[in-house]
Amino acid sequence: MIFWKRTFPLLLTFLLGVTFTVQYYVPHPASESLLTEVSVWGQIIGGFAILLGVGSLIRSHYVKIKRREAGWGYSGVMFLSMLIMLGAGFWSGGKTESTSFGWLYNYVFVALQGTMFSLLAFFVASAAYRAFRARTPEATVLLVAAILVMWGRVPLGEHLVSGVGYIAEWIMSVPNTAAQRGILIGVSLGGIATSIKIICGIERSYLGKD
Amino acid sequence: MSDFVVRLLRLDRRIIFLLIALATLLPLLYPVSLPIRVSPEVQRVYDYIEKLPAGSLVLLSMDFEPGGKPELYPMAVALLRHAFQKNLKVLGLTLWPAGAGLAETAFTEVAREKGKEKGVDYVFLGYAPGDASAVISMGQDFHAAFPADYYGTKTADIPLLNKVRSLRDMQYVISLSVGFPGIDTWYVYGKEKYGFELGGGCTAVSAPRFYPLLDTGQINGLLGGLRGAAEYEILLGVKGKAMAGMAAQSATHFVIIFLIVTCNALYFLTGQARGRQR
Repeated sequence: MIFWKRTFPLLLTFLLGVTFTVQYYVPHPASESLLTEVSVWGQIIGGFAILLGVGSLIRSHYVKIKRREAGWGYSGVMFLSMLIMLGAGFWSGGKTESTSFGWLYNYVFVALQGTMFSLLAFFVASAAYRAFRARTPEATVLLVAAILVMWGRVPLGEHLVSGVGYIAEWIMSVPNTAAQRGILIGVSLGGIATSIKIICGIERSYLGKD
Repeated sequence: MSDFVVRLLRLDRRIIFLLIALATLLPLLYPVSLPIRVSPEVQRVYDYIEKLPAGSLVLLSMDFEPGGKPELYPMAVALLRHAFQKNLKVLGLTLWPAGAGLAETAFTEVAREKGKEKGVDYVFLGYAPGDASAVISMGQDFHAAFPADYYGTKTADIPLLNKVRSLRDMQYVISLSVGFPGIDTWYVYGKEKYGFELGGGCTAVSAPRFYPLLDTGQINGLLGGLRGAAEYEILLGVKGKAMAGMAAQSATHFVIIFLIVTCNALYFLTGQARGRQR
């Protein structure tokens, strides 16, 4: 049992990890056709991952309803919405043009997700009013930079103070790029280190708790 | 006095919400047109498409869901209009499952507007599952990645895809991305190995992240947020939804700036008052 749950996945990870690291540097047709085959497999697995996600969603909301947890009614709404969308989707063959599924997608799903995203503007404004304060010199620099970028990135700002747009552009292209580049290099090095740890079997959290 | 300042600092958030709502709604109801300066990163995307010869293959990956629609959909429409005006052949897809409907609408509407024919002038391939695997798969064998298009037609039977073998055949790839998978995926797993030119578009909130890629030439241009889309509309000479939204964005930015300045002024006022009491 331990072989299938731990040893086999570790061996498989090591084997595939090493193979595809080497494959990148070998432009031989056999190596390329292996990559072609595996990338299609990757797409198929990616498709099944959606099913896994749906399964997990159903399970967690079912448990909520079963235990009558706080807000369990919303889980019921989730199931109802899922059934309606699924039904309409199958009925319309997944097509959106002039179908019930398309109507639900355009006038319910798009509107709801758009609303969720646009709520950010309200919360950002409220949070900025309460928390964005020049408490320290570092916070002051951040605050001044934020105001200049917000001012310079909109036409009204450039209309009121000519040249502020160029200052905003400079902030984005120089200090911002320098900081982002540092983060990017750090994240990339971290990614490489984690990949090596996973391939070598040092990092095993992906195997789960059992 | 200090009590009043403290009360102002604890302003009911519903008043802030109301200010933002008004700042968004009023400019949309009573539009004001303001001049918009085109930034170099947007100009570079426009110039690149402008220089492509007619018949060149452009791949537009609309990697977003409805949440990103206000900022990224106008970009997609502007880019499609430009590509169709230049008689380029456009391939469309999305790496986000819930984005297929939006992407298909954009393709259908702009193609209809410009009198373009499906399968000949453009192809919409739909959702490509697998994130990085999808990009690698397209780079290795386009027909293996997409055996059929969004409408179920076999890609082998689509005239436009007859000569397409892999991503290496694309003259330009543009990813309009709301997150991951998006521009990063196309750069890391696509451009780097298959050597096509890559441009990007993203939401304003994620634009700062892509500036290092601009400097190094990993992407040749970037459309950042609604402003990026509005700049592209300026270049095309079309008044679209992005330009209409810029007045609302201007007003909201200024409300937020006003709130930040006010809260800091009040903060210092209360701090000084406390200092005097001591």
